Order: sequence, then C-alpha cells, then structure tokens
Amino acid sequence: MTTETTGSNRRWWFGVADLAGVSLEEAALGLERIHLSIADETFNVLEAIPVTRPVSEPVRLMHHGISRLSYRSVALLGRGLNAAAGFGLQSRP
Amino acid sequence: MPCWQDHASAIASGFLGDWLQARESPLAMPMQVRHQGRAINTGAPDVPDASGTLVFLIHGLTELESVWSYRDDPDNGYGPELARALGGTSLALRYNTGLPVYRNGELMAEALETLLENWPVPVTNLILIGHSMGGLLIRAACHHGRQSGHQWCRSVGSCVYIGSPHDGSWLARGAHRVADHLAAMPKDYLRVAGAFIDLRSEGIRNLSRGEVTRPDAEEPPLLPGADHYVISGLLTRNRAHPVNTLFGDALVQEPSARGDERSGWVLRDIANFPGTHHIRLAHEPKVARQLKEWLT
Repeated sequence: MTTETTGSNRRWWFGVADLAGVSLEEAALGLERIHLSIADETFNVLEAIPVTRPVSEPVRLMHHGISRLSYRSVALLGRGLNAAAGFGLQSRP
Repeated sequence: MPCWQDHASAIASGFLGDWLQARESPLAMPMQVRHQGRAINTGAPDVPDASGTLVFLIHGLTELESVWSYRDDPDNGYGPELARALGGTSLALRYNTGLPVYRNGELMAEALETLLENWPVPVTNLILIGHSMGGLLIRAACHHGRQSGHQWCRSVGSCVYIGSPHDGSWLARGAHRVADHLAAMPKDYLRVAGAFIDLRSEGIRNLSRGEVTRPDAEEPPLLPGADHYVISGLLTRNRAHPVNTLFGDALVQEPSARGDERSGWVLRDIANFPGTHHIRLAHEPKVARQLKEWLT
C-alpha cells in the first residue's frame, strides 16, 4: 500500500462530472417512466369517460411523444457530459 | 485536496463505492493507513513515535477517520488518548466503504500484514477498534488473516466493536424490504421508486444482514486469543423507552450491536450508553473513559 491519495484536484472534478453525467441520464430516464406511468392513470380515466374517449388516445400519444423527446434530450446531455468526463479522465493521468 | 472533497468522496464511496471502483473513478476512496492526519506507506512506515502497542481505528459507512475526533478538540480522540495511556501509537484506516465488507476485510488484513512486517519495532499488542461497519471489517479481516496465516493475527490483544450491526441494521433491512415490495408492484412509478431505493452499494447490502464473509462462506468465529468488547448506544437516556427498542442508537439496535443472534461468541465485556446516538459513539468522552478502563 502506498501513500496514494484520492488523486489530483482536476481528476477529482472529472470524476464528479462522470458521476453527474451518469446520474443525469439515469434520473431523466427514471423520471420519464414515472411521468408517463402517472399520466397513464389520468388517460385511462379519460378513456373510460364516453365524452373524452375519442380524444384521449391522440392526446396520450402526443403527450407521451413530447415527454419522451424532452426526457431523452436531457438523458443525452448527461451521456455527453459523461463522455466528456471519460475523455478528460483518460487524457489527464 | 480540500477536506470537503475527501468527505464528498467518502459519501459517494459509501453509496456507490463498488460501482465507482469498477469505473476507476477518482471519487472511489483508496485504502490508506493514516497517522496524525497523513497517509503512511505500509511498506516503509515513517512514524517517529512508533511503538509496540498499536491502537488501530476503523471508521464506518460514508465516514472518514475524522469521525473519531472530539468535536471540541479535533486533534484528540480515542486513538491519541489510548496511545498516551498505553505508551502506544495511534493509527487509523481509511477505505472505500461501498465495497463488500469481506473485500475490505481482505485488503485490511493484507495492509496490516505488510505494516507489521515493516514496523520499526515488534508489535506486541494490536488493539482494533471499529465503529459501525468498522466492527464488521475487524471480523472480516481477522477471518482472512487467520485463513492466510498472517502473523499480525497473533499480535491482536483486543477487538472493540462500537455500534456495529452484527445482526444487521434495521434501516438497511427496512430499505431492502421496501425496495423488494415496490419492485413487485404493478405500477411503473412504484417500481422506479423501488429501483431508486435499491440503488446502493454492496457494503450497504452487507450491513443489512451483518455479513462479513463471501456469500458462499460459513460465518467465522471471533478471533481466538483476543479479548472482544462491545459498545452500543441508545437514542434516549431512559433505557426502557420504546424509541430505544425500535431504533437503538438510531441505526443499530442494541441486540444487533451485541451480536445476540451470533453463536459461540464470548465477549469480555459489554457497555451501553443511553442517550448517545450512533455517530456520537465514535467521539464521546464517556466512551473513551470506558475504553481506557478496559484496555489500559
């Protein structure tokens, strides 16, 4: 065992960025699942009411499409941050 | 590196340490043996006050060695006090608390073997003091040391387990049960909540059942030839208060700290400190007095 510490300050911050990137991606995808499944509860109720039934499914599709696009954009941002951090960790020993 | 960054790494390592280690993240805390605030090289320890009596402190989950410091006197704590009383040397272990307990035990055993081989004087009395997960680490290290024929095991005079969840922690067990229930729910948002609660390191999973060995191994006995002591805390001063029965010292219940469900344990002595919570057990002057009474 050596006197190795937790590393240089720059590497530490790349580690934080790496963790933040993965967390952002996972959090965005998790929130997408929560958002869509809770929204489904409402759309299922609308589906059961004769007056709203005709528009329920098109609105659900539109809502889910926009939501997925938004959450996955954030997830992509997280993946980008993660990739940049990984590059920084590899290039600066 | 600033102190707050070490604390942040310790917390990240506690919750995600195995994952961080697998990614070779600089946030993963490396194992270090420390003396007076700095890491020492176990292969060539440069310790001016090296003596044959070592007081070796092992912290718990998400903690650093600073947990042992008295709040009103940060340079003092159980280690320095005992070292002065015994004419010994105080050392502390820093490690990645998110790794499996058995793995940290193996690493600690190897570090102790190297350290004692290279220590400037023969070590005749090694005192191991572990707080919370640190107590489980003592058992894991002693098991690995004995199996590997390590010489340091012969030097161990006393092992002190402070607030260690030998039978598991109610909080970790509770989180495990809640996560399992939520994962079995039909609603996706509940399953996501379950997955979030389940997002924890192997070290925390080991705490839920007090596991100190690899999954397929039998539970080892306490290290023969050494005296074993247990210290536990309780949230309120009235021992019979239901809060104490339910939550113990906040994280560990008193029977778990004593290892009531373990078989064949012979403890030299047990002390309980009502009104002292889990974290405070690591830097409480009353506990220091008890340690001095037992060990000096």
